[in-house]
Amino acid sequence: MVTHPEAMTGIRWDGRQYPYIPQEPLCVDPGLKLHTETAESIDPITYEVIRHAMWNINVEHGHTIMKVSGSPICAYGHDFNPCLLDERGNFIFFGPFLQYLSSATSSAVKWTLEYRSGNPGIEDGDMFLTNDPWIGATHQLDVTLIAPVFWQGELFCWVGNTLHQWDLGGTSPGGFNPVAQDVYWEAGCIPPIKIVERGRLRKDIEEEYTRRSRMPELVALDLRAEIAGCYVARERIKQLIDRYGAAIVKGVMRKLQDDSERAFVRRLHTIPDGTWREVGWIELAHPEDRRIYRNCLTLTKRGDRLIFSNQGTDSQAGTLNSTMIAWKGAIASMVSAQMLFDQMFVVEGAYRHMEFVAEPGTITCATFPAAVSAAPALTLLQTIALAGLVISKMLACSSDEQLRTEVQSCMGAPMYPIAAISGINQRGAPYTSFLLDPVGAALAGLAWRDGVDTGGWPWDLQSTMPNVEDNEWFYPILYLWRRELPDSGGAGKFRGGNAAELAFIPHGTDQITLFTATGHCAVPGPGLFGGYPTSTTRYTLVRGACVSQRARTSGQLPIGLQHLEGRVEYLPPKAFGVIQHPDDVFIMSWASAGGYGDPIERDPERVAVDVRQGNVTQQWARRAYGVVLTEEGEVDWTKTKHLRDRMRRQRVDKPNSPARVDGTNKQMVAEGLELMGEYFYCRRCGHRISPLSENYKLHCRQKKFPIQEANRYILDPRTYLDDEVEFRHFYCPRCGLLIQTEIARPADDPLWDIQLVEGDK
Amino acid sequence: MDFICAVDIGGTFTDCIVRDSAGHITLAKSPSTPDDFSEGFFNALAQAATQMGLTLDELLSRTRLLLHGTTVGINALLELKGAKTGLITTRGHGDALLIMRSVGRSAGLPIERLLHVSRHRKPSPLIPRSLIKEVSERIDWRGEIFLPLNRQEARQAIEELLAENVEAIAISFLWGFVNPVHEIAVREMVSQMAPDVYVTCAHELIAKPGEYERTAATAINCFIGPQMSGYIQRVQQRTRTLGYKRPFLIMQASGGVATADEIIHKPLFTIGSGPAGGLIGAHYLAGVLGHTNVIATDVGGTSFDVGIISQGRPLMASETTVNQYTFFMPRLDIESIGSGGGSIIWIDPLSQTMKVGPESAGADPGPACYGRGNLRPTITDADVVLGYYNPNNFLGGALRLDREAALQAMRTVADPLRMGVVEAAAGATQIAEFQMAELLRQMTVQRGLDPREFVVYAYGGAGGAHAAAYARELGCQTVVIPLGSIASTWSAFGIQSADILHVYETSELLIAPFDVERLNRIFCQLESRAREQLREDQIPDDRIELQRFVEMKFRLQIHRIEIPVPGGTLTDRDMEALEATFVQTYEALYGQGSAFTEAGMEIGVVRVMARGKMDIPPINPPERLAREAFVGRREVYWREYNGHRSTAIYDGTRLQPHTIIEGPAIVEMPVTTIVVRPYTVGRMDAYGNFVIEL
Repeated sequence: MVTHPEAMTGIRWDGRQYPYIPQEPLCVDPGLKLHTETAESIDPITYEVIRHAMWNINVEHGHTIMKVSGSPICAYGHDFNPCLLDERGNFIFFGPFLQYLSSATSSAVKWTLEYRSGNPGIEDGDMFLTNDPWIGATHQLDVTLIAPVFWQGELFCWVGNTLHQWDLGGTSPGGFNPVAQDVYWEAGCIPPIKIVERGRLRKDIEEEYTRRSRMPELVALDLRAEIAGCYVARERIKQLIDRYGAAIVKGVMRKLQDDSERAFVRRLHTIPDGTWREVGWIELAHPEDRRIYRNCLTLTKRGDRLIFSNQGTDSQAGTLNSTMIAWKGAIASMVSAQMLFDQMFVVEGAYRHMEFVAEPGTITCATFPAAVSAAPALTLLQTIALAGLVISKMLACSSDEQLRTEVQSCMGAPMYPIAAISGINQRGAPYTSFLLDPVGAALAGLAWRDGVDTGGWPWDLQSTMPNVEDNEWFYPILYLWRRELPDSGGAGKFRGGNAAELAFIPHGTDQITLFTATGHCAVPGPGLFGGYPTSTTRYTLVRGACVSQRARTSGQLPIGLQHLEGRVEYLPPKAFGVIQHPDDVFIMSWASAGGYGDPIERDPERVAVDVRQGNVTQQWARRAYGVVLTEEGEVDWTKTKHLRDRMRRQRVDKPNSPARVDGTNKQMVAEGLELMGEYFYCRRCGHRISPLSENYKLHCRQKKFPIQEANRYILDPRTYLDDEVEFRHFYCPRCGLLIQTEIARPADDPLWDIQLVEGDK
Repeated sequence: MDFICAVDIGGTFTDCIVRDSAGHITLAKSPSTPDDFSEGFFNALAQAATQMGLTLDELLSRTRLLLHGTTVGINALLELKGAKTGLITTRGHGDALLIMRSVGRSAGLPIERLLHVSRHRKPSPLIPRSLIKEVSERIDWRGEIFLPLNRQEARQAIEELLAENVEAIAISFLWGFVNPVHEIAVREMVSQMAPDVYVTCAHELIAKPGEYERTAATAINCFIGPQMSGYIQRVQQRTRTLGYKRPFLIMQASGGVATADEIIHKPLFTIGSGPAGGLIGAHYLAGVLGHTNVIATDVGGTSFDVGIISQGRPLMASETTVNQYTFFMPRLDIESIGSGGGSIIWIDPLSQTMKVGPESAGADPGPACYGRGNLRPTITDADVVLGYYNPNNFLGGALRLDREAALQAMRTVADPLRMGVVEAAAGATQIAEFQMAELLRQMTVQRGLDPREFVVYAYGGAGGAHAAAYARELGCQTVVIPLGSIASTWSAFGIQSADILHVYETSELLIAPFDVERLNRIFCQLESRAREQLREDQIPDDRIELQRFVEMKFRLQIHRIEIPVPGGTLTDRDMEALEATFVQTYEALYGQGSAFTEAGMEIGVVRVMARGKMDIPPINPPERLAREAFVGRREVYWREYNGHRSTAIYDGTRLQPHTIIEGPAIVEMPVTTIVVRPYTVGRMDAYGNFVIEL
């Protein structure tokens, strides 16, 4: 794993002002002996038995944390992950919970080896704690605990975990502060400290740590959970070594890494060299701001290496930032999901072939002391979405048909809509929390099937929404509705999953204080290969709706904004201290998942089924998909053909019907593009679109639309922004196939997102 | 002389077991009849009657108790062949069942499938959106009516569903379990408008917060209701005609039986009752043998099930996931992995290592040695190759095994790995046994139990061959392979030993210090309902056993644990004891120092388990033939010796009680083959159990 831009020499990548970037070989104090003896050959039975045991040690490590912690964050939010690493901090197993935490633990171990092995030293029975986002955490609330495992005086391997904490101090309870100007407004950063020394928890260090929190007992309990997890894992690893010998166990660890690497490289070999790009937009650096910021992710594949770069990303601003640790973890989580699903997520195999080139001082590689506590909700999550898209663009070029089934559009809830509520609850006690409903997210449209409505995220495999009754039990609110939003999923040949909307009124309290932190309120996440973008996130406050009185008069409950009277206010994606009175309705919907491929290429039967099931409305079926249904809900084939022809005529003047000849040795590079020799061709009609050496988009027929055209849930961006954005279509100039869509500011050049030639042009 | 009959329907066979008042047992097996399971039911009974020299009506008219385990309900759910069902729910919340709390896309998936996110999807809806009707009404968390039921909307919803010809209607409102008036009102409207439609109200099934799991339970109950009630009524009708007059009792997943009349309304509770019979059989036997801590394992052809009896009580769980639907239901805590005799042994092409399962050759075509067309090696084939199984005397000679085919299949894995065929077979069994041991570990260590304090029971066809290995891995001292030939109908035996069990619970929030008067009132109400029901079930008062529990937790924490509560009128001192017991139990489960006492304690659920204890005659020790049990020797591979040994073979049916058999040895039983590993000692006990000391 190489991670430094060569140009920036003279910078100290030591985790203080700049993020820590390990330079191999690590600089470890010579007094610390690392165990490296590895058995050359291991019989396949022993291998399988030890592999299975190590996986289960990591599972038990996770269960132990959940057990001791008892925290809902851990059990329901899965906001933690246990792992097993080798003596140098490279991953063996990483648990099946939040994937973006992966770079943090490894980075924390490597930093500790480099900067703590001499003073205070790393010894048997020690454990180190850190929450420093420049060293080994995604943000300050994610606390990493790592423990060396010693065998006969040598450091054999590491176990570690990360667990999100309720509160670690700072100006805002719970740690997210939408008005933070720098890291000093937030919970403090703790570089790795030896909190357990030779098996004993140091009381002085523990209190230094818990003292900062508004909930010190809970933090102390979670610390014990993290310690207990590491303890169990460490003891079981020692039992394994005792039984099979250190060299054999180490051999299995190496083989796991090597096998995963082999699988990964084998996949890379099916893909041509090239560069793929994606851009995401994030609004408002603070509540008074009305600008958008650019998050750019470039993936270059060269031979068996993947190089990720944030080139073109805007400078760090307000609360939008994440550190490089978070950025790397975000990327790695989609590499695992899309390329290591059959390798038990052994991410080390991929890390050996990944380089991260990040320009410091940007929103994805912030330098100290930028505010970074909101990273997981904002830039980190958006980077996961972008990573999924650039990886998908790359995989679409693979000659491996199976691998191409992993190609997917933009995930749902590509930034987390934080809606924090606080006040006095229905039992008279103070409370503060944020709503977990948006973990319902939505899965993206794939190259072969639709996304899953409210189907969660691809990097958290078991995201679980709270029940409405859970939230009404805990907080003084009464939900009016919580339902999926028809038409919200990005349109496409395969559509994105629909998102959902909820609405509540205060119940049993005088008022609720709200704050928000998110993005994608004005600008949605992108679609893929002609698929439409996601919907947008929206916070709405309807003042003076007086639902309880009106419902009692009419006998009917409202189930949508259209049923409410009152004054409508759209809250910005960073809002602080907004008061909701008992007569006001708070409505929140989150961004759906993006679509894949040209919507008017969608099988009309699928549209009919969607309409029957209430996932798509008749109107949207016509407008987005060009599908007309009969009164019985069946496809009207004649009218559909007619409508789709007309839509194509609006795209290009005289669309030619497809005359594509199959059987040539053309290679797919996107849903609508294929490659032969030095040219890109349209996959629908065979038209030669552009030379390989140029941006194909410049040779497409281009049309611009207001962004509201992309999805019927998108508001006029001027609601939130002074900056302008537009929704661009790129068509095959001959048949009118929608090859790619893009969202950009008017002055931006079309993004060269699929570039299969050497060098940047 | 009267009889207790139990009939258990499995995938392949319908088993029947009859116990007379002297404790004599008759067993019968008949093929299951999926087109109409009741046929197999009566065939099995008739066969038992014939063996006893009786006619079917003679048997039934002298039967004191007729108990039954059925898979009709779960089959309908798994095959999605249930009734056309409509749902009436709170306006604005009809999507809860479709959203599935989002986790429905991956709930219950084994790890290999969990990690493959591009394959995640929600199951097809039990009730499509077009049959989900929303009605204006609203009750809040306190049970207070925020908006009264809009009867006009309710009427219209029912009419629309009836126009769609639904066969069943599920009614589930937000907080309907706290205040059921609206659910009841809608049910009455349905009964008036369409008396033949099957109706379930959520609050009648489940009294817990969580609208998704409660609504899913209600939807499933309706989905399987018409089919199940039809089946049960048909069987009950015919048993009555044949002379059986007493209540017809059906097995539930909770491990107790309930009357047919009740199951007709609550068929949901039979889902997952399949493995429950086995665990209840183990529970019964544990009582006889005086074992308080038992790990009950069932090694079948495709799956390995584990349940736990701790301090004399089977562990329970309150939630279950079937077909990615998660719903509330009291059930025995039984976990299962895809590992068994039929598990396929294969090579991972990338790492060139050996893997076992989770794919299984099942019963058909079955292992390669069955000679029915499967050419890939399975654990059973490995057992044959190692010499554990006698090809000519497998399952009492019921099936002749093809050793050559087993070797052939095993070679397809051994050759590419450059291993000997025996070495590969030994390795494969070892991998499978480690997987099984890991599940045992999860079921004990992760529940705060020390496996070394447990006895392992092993039933199911492949249990005898592998139990000693996985038990030893956990440090257990004793393995029991139960009851000789009775083990062939183990699940039916378990059903026969079950009590009537009703679970009454209510969600109540009590915050410590607890209001003892309120708790007394709640228990009193639940217990009077329980007594009433058990009397209706024809249980005499002296056989009614009521156990009280509360589910407690620390505030801000998620772990709820069940704490027993003493009977009678509770006092403040009992409340203090309750808090102390909770902290103590919590720390035993979750570790020293894990009790977050600063947060305060609360009670969330109050529960009464109401048992009607059955009067069951004790089992008789089997009659033993006074013949030589030693039948010869054969070459068997032992990994303890790293090679073959000429090994003594015994006919288990001829073993006299208390005969000691030192390992290595093989004991062939009609149902299973017992592998007595080197350095272990086996013996037959007085009841016909085979006990191995590790």
